[in-house]
Amino acid sequence: MSFSDATAAVSDELAARDDIIICDSVDKWYGDFQALKGVSATIKEREVVVVLGPSGSGKSTWIRCINRLEQHQSGRIIVDGVELTNDTRNIEKIRSEVGMVFQQFNLFPHLSVIDNISLAPLWVRKRPRAEAERLASDLLERVGIPEQAEKFPGQLSGGQQQRVAIARALAMEPRIMLFDEPTSALDPEMIKEVLDVMKELAVGGMTMMVVTHEMGFAREVADRVIFMESGEIVEAGTPEHFFTDPQEDRTKLFLSQIL
Amino acid sequence: MTDTQPSLQLAATAKPPFYRDATFVKWLVQVATLVVTLFAIGFLAREAGDSLRAKSIQTGFGFLDVDPAISLGEGIDTDPATGGRALWVGMVNTIRMAAAGIVLATILGTLIGIGRLSSNWLVAKLASGFIEYMRNIPLLVHIILFFVTIAVVFPDFGENVDPVTGEVTQGPWNGVIHVSNKGFSVPRVHIEDGFYQWLIIVVIGCFAARWISRQRRITRDQTGNETYPLISALGVVAAFGAIGWFIHPIFGFVGDLLFAPIRDLIDATPPNLVQLLLCVVAIIAAGLWIKGFFDARRTPGDSAKLTDDDWFRVIFAGFAAATACVVFLVLWPGLSSWLVNSSRDLFDVLANKFGEGRGNIGDDPPFGVSMPDIEKRGNFANMGPAGLNLTQGFAAVFFGVVLYTAAFVAEIVRGGILAVPKGQTEAALAVGLRRSTMLRRVILPQAFRVSLPPLGNQYLNLTKNTSLAIAVGYTDVVQVGQTIFNQTGRSLEVFIIWMLFYLACSLTISVVVNFFNVRLKIVER
Repeated sequence: MSFSDATAAVSDELAARDDIIICDSVDKWYGDFQALKGVSATIKEREVVVVLGPSGSGKSTWIRCINRLEQHQSGRIIVDGVELTNDTRNIEKIRSEVGMVFQQFNLFPHLSVIDNISLAPLWVRKRPRAEAERLASDLLERVGIPEQAEKFPGQLSGGQQQRVAIARALAMEPRIMLFDEPTSALDPEMIKEVLDVMKELAVGGMTMMVVTHEMGFAREVADRVIFMESGEIVEAGTPEHFFTDPQEDRTKLFLSQIL
Repeated sequence: MTDTQPSLQLAATAKPPFYRDATFVKWLVQVATLVVTLFAIGFLAREAGDSLRAKSIQTGFGFLDVDPAISLGEGIDTDPATGGRALWVGMVNTIRMAAAGIVLATILGTLIGIGRLSSNWLVAKLASGFIEYMRNIPLLVHIILFFVTIAVVFPDFGENVDPVTGEVTQGPWNGVIHVSNKGFSVPRVHIEDGFYQWLIIVVIGCFAARWISRQRRITRDQTGNETYPLISALGVVAAFGAIGWFIHPIFGFVGDLLFAPIRDLIDATPPNLVQLLLCVVAIIAAGLWIKGFFDARRTPGDSAKLTDDDWFRVIFAGFAAATACVVFLVLWPGLSSWLVNSSRDLFDVLANKFGEGRGNIGDDPPFGVSMPDIEKRGNFANMGPAGLNLTQGFAAVFFGVVLYTAAFVAEIVRGGILAVPKGQTEAALAVGLRRSTMLRRVILPQAFRVSLPPLGNQYLNLTKNTSLAIAVGYTDVVQVGQTIFNQTGRSLEVFIIWMLFYLACSLTISVVVNFFNVRLKIVER
């Protein structure tokens, strides 16, 4: 069974919202290896989507295509009404509206925490420095570490670094946030502090796509769970439906291995 | 139990025989090395002295104070009055070339290094081609090639062909821009009487600017409004410079009231006393610095642990103090005459410089413009000192070392950029930075952190490579020194001066590079 549109099987209220990300049969090859095989899905505004799947299933590749860190070779991706093509202006526009958080944090090690966060407002939005730094302090407050502003990334714990990375992505005031395994590189006791920040974002109405292995987070926060394997969307649905009554054999196998 | 207890104590307190004592052995090896080294140096020095005496070769630094009877092709003084002055002119030429070369090679090398990584096929291949061409041919060949190219391609000196009429004219074009096989000459801005008084006003302006920018920064932090502290600071300096242009004569009193009394004081004291005092000050300063350095590195309950870098700094402080002593004790009498080409001492010169140009308010602008001219020396026409000249020799050596070094700098920068993790690029692109901003704000600062130590090596190479100027007759310190020892026969002395000079240059570069290396270090916990 193939999903022409993975939005099927979610609530009517959600279906009534505007589309914000539309992927239509997206294909992506690395040489001869096909990483994405006709991925189609529509994400609604203020929706939280958790993407699950075994490693190598194409989850990360997919969300990296959405802000064009990877180029898809065929199919269409439309983000907030703008199609991702080779037009550099579209790419810049989309990147400034889509925030991204990485597994390895990827903070800039030569800049202090406050400079990490204010870099993009300063040089992309061309805000005055004072305003950019005030914005950065507000965001640090929001992720709960205002006292670390003058420190350098190397002086922070993994959880603090990831929260700074979230603040850095939020500094561009994005409408969409992409999370690429945000807690996979963290020690277990730090995972909660990052997930708490993400939950707060979700409650605040941010559109989020999250690749994660945190089933608790998926159950509690997600509006929809999408399961991928071998570059295809195998199954999608609400968390209750997905975790209690999976339809596909591959989904059942995956859940039996991790739960 | 009672049996083992005493034997354990015995084992703990028993001293090993001295030849197994690690501390003793370490010291023994060090002392033995020192003795052998000193013996070897002493032996060689005595042999050299013996053979010099046997060949009845005279030694001594007397030639530094004697008229060398040479004229130099270019430099701050083309007819030096003493040998020391001639060598100083050569040193200034070398420093000038090395300093300008380091700046240009860094900029050019960085651009080419980035170019080689460009996704633009043509740019990448051009950069690769340039690097391979430059670094696979000896520098000497490059320099001679540039020298010959300038001689062949450009019109004869003193004779120019008008591009429109074909008419042959003598002398430089318009007297403004001059292009010939002897080099290139354009109008020059030079300092006039009154410059030093003007400088005082600008320095005061710098302090004022610092204060104002600090105030504005505080205001910005308090109110959150942008106050442009840097722009205001620059504006203040510019305003002081502009006003100072007209009112600088009021500072003419500095010469009389500040430097003249110092001059009189020095004249009134026995000369050796001043020299000794200066030496003592230099040694105390170095000693205090080293002591402070050790104190800062001392951990509680432990002696100071010094890294190689720290030792390097300590040695540099010692070298600086020793150099100062040599300058003050040995070279003092000639020093002022080498530096400013007059027999008067330094403070006399300062008293005069600050006393000059003190006419009415508005007189004596601190700067003037002079046009290129031709200077006849015997049958040879040459570019005169009035214009800003890029001579054939300087151009050949300069472009040679700069382009050659830029090729190596490019490879180092490329390596540095490749060493920055890919995640940094992705994170920068994901927050929407343009590629150029990303390169400037994220990639290059991290790339230079990796590249700086090897870049320092290239700067040392560049500085030493300028000595190849001897091949094309550019008057750097080696060329001048060689002329002098050909005439005076004082080869050993000239070699010592060369070595000390290059050592001083290299150590200075190392210290500067080290300073930036420490500042660029990524802060870790």
